[in-house]
Amino acid sequence: MEEVPKTTCTSWTAQQAAGNFSNNSTGRERRHPGNTTTGLVTPVVIGSGTNDPNNPIPHQTFKREQDQYVPIANVIRIMKRILPAHAKISDDAKETIQECVSEYISFITSVANEKCHQEHRKTITPEDILYSMEKLGFENYIEPLTLFLNKYREQDMERNSVLAEPFTRRAVRFVQPQQPAPIAPAPTMPTVHHQNYIYPSAINNYFGQTMGGNGECSSSSGAGPTNAEFNPYAQFK
Amino acid sequence: MKRAGTYSGILSGGISGRTGPHLLPLARIKKIMKKSSDDVKMISGEAPIVFSKACELLIEEITKRAWNITVQGKRRTICKEDVASAVITTDTFDFLVNLVLDSANSQDSPRP
Repeated sequence: MEEVPKTTCTSWTAQQAAGNFSNNSTGRERRHPGNTTTGLVTPVVIGSGTNDPNNPIPHQTFKREQDQYVPIANVIRIMKRILPAHAKISDDAKETIQECVSEYISFITSVANEKCHQEHRKTITPEDILYSMEKLGFENYIEPLTLFLNKYREQDMERNSVLAEPFTRRAVRFVQPQQPAPIAPAPTMPTVHHQNYIYPSAINNYFGQTMGGNGECSSSSGAGPTNAEFNPYAQFK
Repeated sequence: MKRAGTYSGILSGGISGRTGPHLLPLARIKKIMKKSSDDVKMISGEAPIVFSKACELLIEEITKRAWNITVQGKRRTICKEDVASAVITTDTFDFLVNLVLDSANSQDSPRP
C-alpha cells in the first residue's frame, strides 16, 4: 500500500487542490514513542476478505489508532437510534462513519480557528463553530444546535446559581429537623461564617450524603421556610 | 469556563446529568479539535458540547442517507459503499469524499 502523505487540516482547499489530502493522518504522527514504525498504523494480515465471500483473497488491514476518533460504541449507538430494528451495519461502515466524524470536527475547527486568528482572538467559542458550520453549508444544523446550546446554558446557570448562593440564604431553605437532635460538638465541620448558625446534626440532615464544599446541594433547593419563620434555636430552648 | 471542576464535572456525567447526558465524550472531541491544526490554542468549555450535538446530527444524517441507499438495493446491512454513496451524493459532505474514496481504494480487495 502506498504511503499517504501526512497533512494537517489547516488549509482544506489547498490540500484538496493538491489532490493528496489524507485526513486520517492527522493523529498518526503523534503516536506513542514505543512505536517503531514511521507513523503508519501497524499492518496486520488477516485471513480472507471479510466482506466478500466470493473473493477470498487475503488482504492487509491496519490497526487503527483509536484516540483520534470518537469511540465507535457511541457512533453505533447513535446510528442504531435512528435505524429500524432489523437494520444491520457492517463493521467497515461503522469505521467509515467514525472517521467522518473526526474529519468533520477537524474541518469545522480549522475554519473556526482561522476566524479566531483573523479577529485576533485566542479561544474558539461555540459562536465560531456555528459560524463555520453556516459557512460550510451546514445551516440546517444551526437551529438545533442553538437550541441545544441555550438549553445547556440555562441549565448551567441554574446549577451555578444554586451553588453560588450565599450560605445564609441556603440556610433559610433548610428544612427543620424532624426530631430534637442532641447538641454535639462539631470539631470537624468546616467553619462557615454566616448569620444563622446551624448545629452539626442539622447540617448532616441538610446536606444529605456528604458535606463537600462544591458538592451537589440539590436536596433542599426547593421552597422552604422563610427567614421570618426559621428559628435555629427553636429546638434548643 | 466558570469554575474549576465545571468541565470535568461534565465529563464524568456528574452534576446528576443536569446538563444532559452527552453521547460523545467531550475530552475526545477536544483532543480531535486540538489535532486539527497546530495553532489551535484555546477552546471554550462549551465548544465540545456543541460538537457533541453536531456530530450526533452528522452521524444521523449520513446514516439516514446510507440506509436509503441500502433499502434501494433491497438489502438490510449498511455497507461501506452505501456510506460512500451517501457522502458523494450530498454536496455538504464534499469534504468527506476523499476520505470515503481513500478508504474504499485502500481496503477493498481487488475485484477480478
